[in-house]
Amino acid sequence: MTSDTRPRPRFAAQGICKSFASPVLRDVDLEISSGHIHGLVGENGAGKSTLAKIFVGLERADSGSLRLDGKPYRPINAADSLGAGVAICAQELSLVDDLSVAENILLQTSTSSLARIRRKFAEERALKLLDLVGLEHLTPRTLVGLLSLAEKQLVEIAKTFATEAKLLILDEPTSALTAPQAEVLHRILRDKASDGATVIYISHRLRDVLSVCDRASVLRDGQVRLTADCGELSEQRLIHEMAGADADFEATPRSSVSPAPLHLTVEGLRTSNLPYAISFNCRRGEILGIAGLAGSGRTELLNAVFGLDKRVAGSVKIHDKDGTAETRSPWQSIRCGIGMVTEDRSKDGIFRDQALAFNVTIAGLGQISDRSGRLVHSKETSAVARLTRALRVRSHGIHQKMRELSGGNQQKSMLARWLHCGSQLLLLDEPTRGVDVTAKLAIHAELVRLRDSGVTVIAVSSELEELQSLCDRILVLSNRKLVGEFHRRDWSQQKILAAAFSEYDRDIEPSSVSIL
Amino acid sequence: MNEVVGRVSRILEENLIFVSLLAIVVFFSLISESFLSLTTLSTLLNQLPALTVVSIGMTLVLISGGIDLSVGSVVALSAGVIGAGIAILGLPLPIAACLGILTGALVGFANGSLGAYLRLPIFIVTLGMLEVSRGLAYIVTDSQTVYLGAKIQSFAVPWAGSGISASILVALTLVVVFEFLLRSTIFGRQIVAVGSNESAAEVAGIDPRRVRCTVLVLSGLLAGLGGLMNAAYLGSADPNAGIGLELSAIAAAVIGGTSLMGGRGSVVGAFVGVLIVSVLQIGLAQIGITEPTKRVITGAVIILAVILDRWRAS
Repeated sequence: MTSDTRPRPRFAAQGICKSFASPVLRDVDLEISSGHIHGLVGENGAGKSTLAKIFVGLERADSGSLRLDGKPYRPINAADSLGAGVAICAQELSLVDDLSVAENILLQTSTSSLARIRRKFAEERALKLLDLVGLEHLTPRTLVGLLSLAEKQLVEIAKTFATEAKLLILDEPTSALTAPQAEVLHRILRDKASDGATVIYISHRLRDVLSVCDRASVLRDGQVRLTADCGELSEQRLIHEMAGADADFEATPRSSVSPAPLHLTVEGLRTSNLPYAISFNCRRGEILGIAGLAGSGRTELLNAVFGLDKRVAGSVKIHDKDGTAETRSPWQSIRCGIGMVTEDRSKDGIFRDQALAFNVTIAGLGQISDRSGRLVHSKETSAVARLTRALRVRSHGIHQKMRELSGGNQQKSMLARWLHCGSQLLLLDEPTRGVDVTAKLAIHAELVRLRDSGVTVIAVSSELEELQSLCDRILVLSNRKLVGEFHRRDWSQQKILAAAFSEYDRDIEPSSVSIL
Repeated sequence: MNEVVGRVSRILEENLIFVSLLAIVVFFSLISESFLSLTTLSTLLNQLPALTVVSIGMTLVLISGGIDLSVGSVVALSAGVIGAGIAILGLPLPIAACLGILTGALVGFANGSLGAYLRLPIFIVTLGMLEVSRGLAYIVTDSQTVYLGAKIQSFAVPWAGSGISASILVALTLVVVFEFLLRSTIFGRQIVAVGSNESAAEVAGIDPRRVRCTVLVLSGLLAGLGGLMNAAYLGSADPNAGIGLELSAIAAAVIGGTSLMGGRGSVVGAFVGVLIVSVLQIGLAQIGITEPTKRVITGAVIILAVILDRWRAS
């Protein structure tokens, strides 16, 4: 045998093709060296997740081959790939809510399904892994159902580490994480890599990819457009390759806010999740941001305003030209022109097994029916076609199942749902989470357009830059208290961060607190 | 040529249950000479109404993500109330019939309140109500079969020459009405939404408790009507009527493509499911299959239906 000067890749994919209704992957080649962290970026729908699923046997490629350590590797299911030392931390959480953290973490590592899980051993293992990912404040016996989304994601990551696989595939592992939590993960990944593990890291956060990965590949329309060392890459370059054109990454300039009538008044609002009364108001055509650390009560505040959580005290009033109305429940809120896009799209946003059209019209069925409550299908078809065209929702037609749409398109159709209702006040919880750069820009542009047409937006985001580029005013929550209000003219990242941390100094050690 | 084959196979696939029903009918016609006859048709039609209306209700409940195990007993309770109303209280038939149907709706309302508003597991609530209703049926009839005579039977006896009774006409009308309700009304969409993703439905402004409760009331009401149909068919109120009917209704719904996980199903499908099970029963009896073997075959068909449905979905 002749010796090759290049090191043999740990993992190689060659000519991978996959089609569902249309081609998703076209002739994908990828080589990853041992001890490398390899980034994989691309728009939603570019084929990243499908590729990852093929690597662990959750999907079968139509053609092409995989090699692991030079030997042919043909996983037929997840257990098979685990046996070969390949583990995935999938984008969709696979945790069982009714099991404890320890049971979840060790679910896939028990060598045989008959093996009795030794509780004590399991809990010790789990404790170590929880410490590793920065969840030392949890006990292994905590039920996963009680955790926040960020904590669940960290548990999912711990579960992947528990497999001690030599090739780790992480698909959007930081989508629900705050920056320090993500930083902890990146440190662990670098440690793993220097110990010889190989990592495939899929993310929309380009800065993360550039800082944590050794090499990165860009997927566009199912093809690898670029593979290069991260040292030679820049964010602009990645965006250019992903979008196929230079995307406008500048924040849209705000038009000046003229004094507008009050739209929403929240007074003394308290729920079981928000123990301190919260009062604020919002003017018509304003984009109001809500900032705070993970777990500071941002989501809870939106839920309380919308009427999803039962109120203990306080009131929410909507003012419009017909006067003032008080709302208590989601259906009253919707009738008063409020719309809500939730944080966890798959849990309480979309109907994944129903058609795109069903998902768009479900909150505004009155718009497409006659007075007797009979649906007029032709009205539905034209309304949905118009909205999906306006928002550029990519689909194979309005009857395509929601689960087959990419994350960005699902998120756009959630916006379409409220546009269909004619909502005048939108409550958006992380409106661009898990959405690619172009979809994100499209959503931002749409929000600005809505604002200019007189719609009021209240947006929660973990990305302070996003709020600063979008909002007219930012409220800051800290430890479930409303601690600050900042206007465009006088805010700075430092001031907002200081406010966000202000209520934690005394009773919580900094390690369990995470930055925006 | 290939194109034609492709199109035919797609049409066959989309109408799988109709095709299956046709296949079963053809199969029995080929083996048994007496199968394809007016007598068979008449026997079939007369058996159907009660199971059909109960299956409509069951389908709605299943699509909303629930289940209603009480319907078989409610059929007996409703029949019992009608029987007691006529035989003991001397009420006129229409009033007794309304009382029976209303009793069904009341049981449905109890199911709905406990299951949807008090958030008790609906499986257990309706299982309990299965016992409660059966017990009440024995109490109102004093555990006796109450003979009701010819007047009530006129509802179930086919009109001269046509082979069609008022009962079956009502049942068929309800199939059409409820299929329309499911496909083309706001309420139908809401049932699917709640069964598909309850929390998402709430965010979309639908009150899941109201929807769940309403379908259970409808299911109870339809089971009450089933009681009337059963009493009319037998000419008597039998407290042992409808034992195991809930399982036949679930089977019919599932054969018709309704998902036990909620969010998907069809009333017309459930009706074809009823036809498939009934044709199978009659056909097997005619070619001399014994009762135990009949049950084995029927059970296997139910499982086969789910396998076909899964294959079609993927």
